[in-house]
Amino acid sequence: MESADRLAIARLVHRVGFGPKPGQFGKMLKQGFKASAQQLLKAGLPDYGDVKTAIGVADLGAQPKPNSEALAPYKVAKQAQLRNMSLWWLDQMVVQEHPFVERMTWFWHGHWATSFSKVDEPVVMFDHIARLRKHAIGDFSQMCEEMILDGALIYWLDGQLNTASSPNENLSRELLELFTLGVNQYSENDVKEAAKALSGLRVVKNSGLVTKEPRRSYFGTSTILGTTGNFESATLARHLSMTAACQSFIPERLTYRFISPASSMMSNPKKSAARTKSSAHIIREAFGTRQILPTMKSLVFSDSFKDPINSQVKSPVEWAVSVFRALQITPSTYSQPDRLLMLLDALGQRPFFPPSVGGWPADEAWLSVASSQNLIQAAQAFVSEGDLSPLNKVAKQERVDALADWLGVAEWSNRTRTAFDGALRDPARLTVLAICSPEYLVSA
Amino acid sequence: MKNISRRNFIKLSSASAVAVAHSLSTYEFAHAAGPRPLPVGTPILVIVTLNGGNDGLNTVVPYLDSNYMSLRPQLAYKEEQVLPIGDGLALNGSMTGLKSLWDKNQLAIVRGVGYPNPDRSHFSSMAIWQSASRTPIKTGWIGRWIETQPENPFLAISLGSTLPALFQGDKRSGTVLPLGGLKTPTGMIAQDFAKTSKQTKLDGQLSASAARSMRDLFTVADIVSPILKNPAPLAADLPTVIGGNAGGQSNLGSQFEAVAKLIAAGVPTRVWSVSLGGFDTHANELSAQSQLLGVVSNSISKFMSQMRTIGRSRDVTIMVYSEFGRRVKANASDGTDHGTSGPVFIIGERVVGGFHGEQPPLNRLNDGDLAVTTDFRSVYGSVIEGVLRTPVDRVINGWNDRLPIFTA
Repeated sequence: MESADRLAIARLVHRVGFGPKPGQFGKMLKQGFKASAQQLLKAGLPDYGDVKTAIGVADLGAQPKPNSEALAPYKVAKQAQLRNMSLWWLDQMVVQEHPFVERMTWFWHGHWATSFSKVDEPVVMFDHIARLRKHAIGDFSQMCEEMILDGALIYWLDGQLNTASSPNENLSRELLELFTLGVNQYSENDVKEAAKALSGLRVVKNSGLVTKEPRRSYFGTSTILGTTGNFESATLARHLSMTAACQSFIPERLTYRFISPASSMMSNPKKSAARTKSSAHIIREAFGTRQILPTMKSLVFSDSFKDPINSQVKSPVEWAVSVFRALQITPSTYSQPDRLLMLLDALGQRPFFPPSVGGWPADEAWLSVASSQNLIQAAQAFVSEGDLSPLNKVAKQERVDALADWLGVAEWSNRTRTAFDGALRDPARLTVLAICSPEYLVSA
Repeated sequence: MKNISRRNFIKLSSASAVAVAHSLSTYEFAHAAGPRPLPVGTPILVIVTLNGGNDGLNTVVPYLDSNYMSLRPQLAYKEEQVLPIGDGLALNGSMTGLKSLWDKNQLAIVRGVGYPNPDRSHFSSMAIWQSASRTPIKTGWIGRWIETQPENPFLAISLGSTLPALFQGDKRSGTVLPLGGLKTPTGMIAQDFAKTSKQTKLDGQLSASAARSMRDLFTVADIVSPILKNPAPLAADLPTVIGGNAGGQSNLGSQFEAVAKLIAAGVPTRVWSVSLGGFDTHANELSAQSQLLGVVSNSISKFMSQMRTIGRSRDVTIMVYSEFGRRVKANASDGTDHGTSGPVFIIGERVVGGFHGEQPPLNRLNDGDLAVTTDFRSVYGSVIEGVLRTPVDRVINGWNDRLPIFTA
């Protein structure tokens, strides 16, 4: 197998999926990049059925008064719902053969970054993610239309405080800057005018139900990015998503996460700059229709995707899920699911808790002395419960290569091979070392 | 007592080698890169972040201003409840420790600090303070300073579990030290990690960073873990009740105690970061805030006393800030909502004690909020030059303003 192909397929399975299950990487190597990519991008979602009923996520009602007897059971129920939905989502990332749609949902979670820390209602956060999932590979304009009226997002950005007489620009500003256009693509006046279009929204905190109250709403025309009209949420969403700025911005964000943060900024000084530029152009063109799937297709088949320069650090959730897939650990049936979530928390990333509306950081932000410590602890905990048969069943001298194929690593460095040499007899030790190695932490 | 000196360091690592046979002693990099103790006389900065938006008006209280009483009657302190420091201002009654530093001219209070067009979001405003940039950028101001210095995993240490944005560099960032210290595996696997964390010529930038952070874990843990088991330096010149000998230690107090032990041991760290949350007092503010300010004040005065004991009090400067102040008027729940400017405290024997910057007038509010009279970057500028000994514009692009906070 060509090493270039190994690299491209390793990227494919780790970035557009969540890493290989045992045997999956070898199968993809045999199929080659093109067929593997097509298969992966084609994968839809299984029929989840009524998830909320199945895992017990429901409206908890208004929070009981302080010091009332109902408060303690309310808090316990809230914790349980949050835990169940966290584990359910991680399960989906782990168990599906090609979790492409969940990978995209995860991307959009970081894009429309909304946190439970303020929303504080499990069902409202669950519905928020369900909306992202519904449009994850669909039409971006429709996604915008629906997200603008998402209870969690509005509450998170104080949209319910935005009235005609007393504007709050938080939602409006982030909508322009972080969700649709990008920084410096609008004026302060556009923020004010868009806030008018979004005024008068009410959110029922515990259910996420959104209504528009005429009494608190602005009626009249507003001028947004040079267009004057009677904007309300749906027309505003469509207007913003159809701009040229949006056509550049969303492909840039996709490039940032799926190719590399450095490449998305086009500050790449090396000779691949020209290639990067033309890839960016092709991806932007593909987004012309605002369809996300074709845009992802052009991204995956672009030159930049395979360019060796575009390495990136796996985020903690990406790392942990890829470990679970390899070790065949289903998060909800892990012996101590709360500890599993705590380990993710310690690593600085868990579903439903982006650190700010800007989403999670990238690359070096995940590499620190403390994160190294947490990685080792998590790796030891996971490996102790994992299925190590892909190593156990091969002879000692074949284990280093088996390890690369099992985990979907393009190539071990000599440094890491030297470390493996001393641990060949001990599959558990070998696995801990491998999943904490630079070659696994970084998607080469 | 474990200290870092060349001799002690070798002793220390060989002691570890006995304790965990064949593990730590094999770290050839630990010997190659073994830290030299920080020379006495080297300036040290301790940054204290108050998370949530501290109410500046009830921290430095304009108790003689009639507007103060009339604008927030439910939340206004009376003269007998506060610690007057002149100019019609007083420290919150819980801040007796800082009051005694004020009396010794070791507390500079910079008034009305903020930035133009204040952002009332905790996240955005903290991002602005930590990056020292009005527009979003990835790096923190200390992170950028780190990159002007030679590589040293001890250079800037944050107590806590995650890297604060403040410490985020482009290629190199500060070190995060969990309060419980660092735990590294022992035995064979530790030896293995020494090998996987070696850098190779073939490493790209990110693989090199991954290898380096793993290597730094072992280097830092190796040095720091025994030091954290040391007893804390004595706060010899404080009455024991303020010294915290009575009653439990607050989390901020524990962070300061770890910093004190590490400074006492000579760890080559120039910048420390500690933090305390809970300042987002939308409801029932009075008791909550004064309890927190008491913790801040007691922790700092104890720490400064410890620094006197070990002969580093002239080297240490403490800066205390929060992401914004709060609204002047109280809300309906005896709290305050997110506001604009607030005071920044700079503490140390080298500061020019007293007031800096103008007190935002209560009779000329902007939309019900305090004016910003001092740009926070001017405070940073003074610290970058006066403590970090680095030209300001190498850290804050295009900024040169400073305040006369430090004696030459």
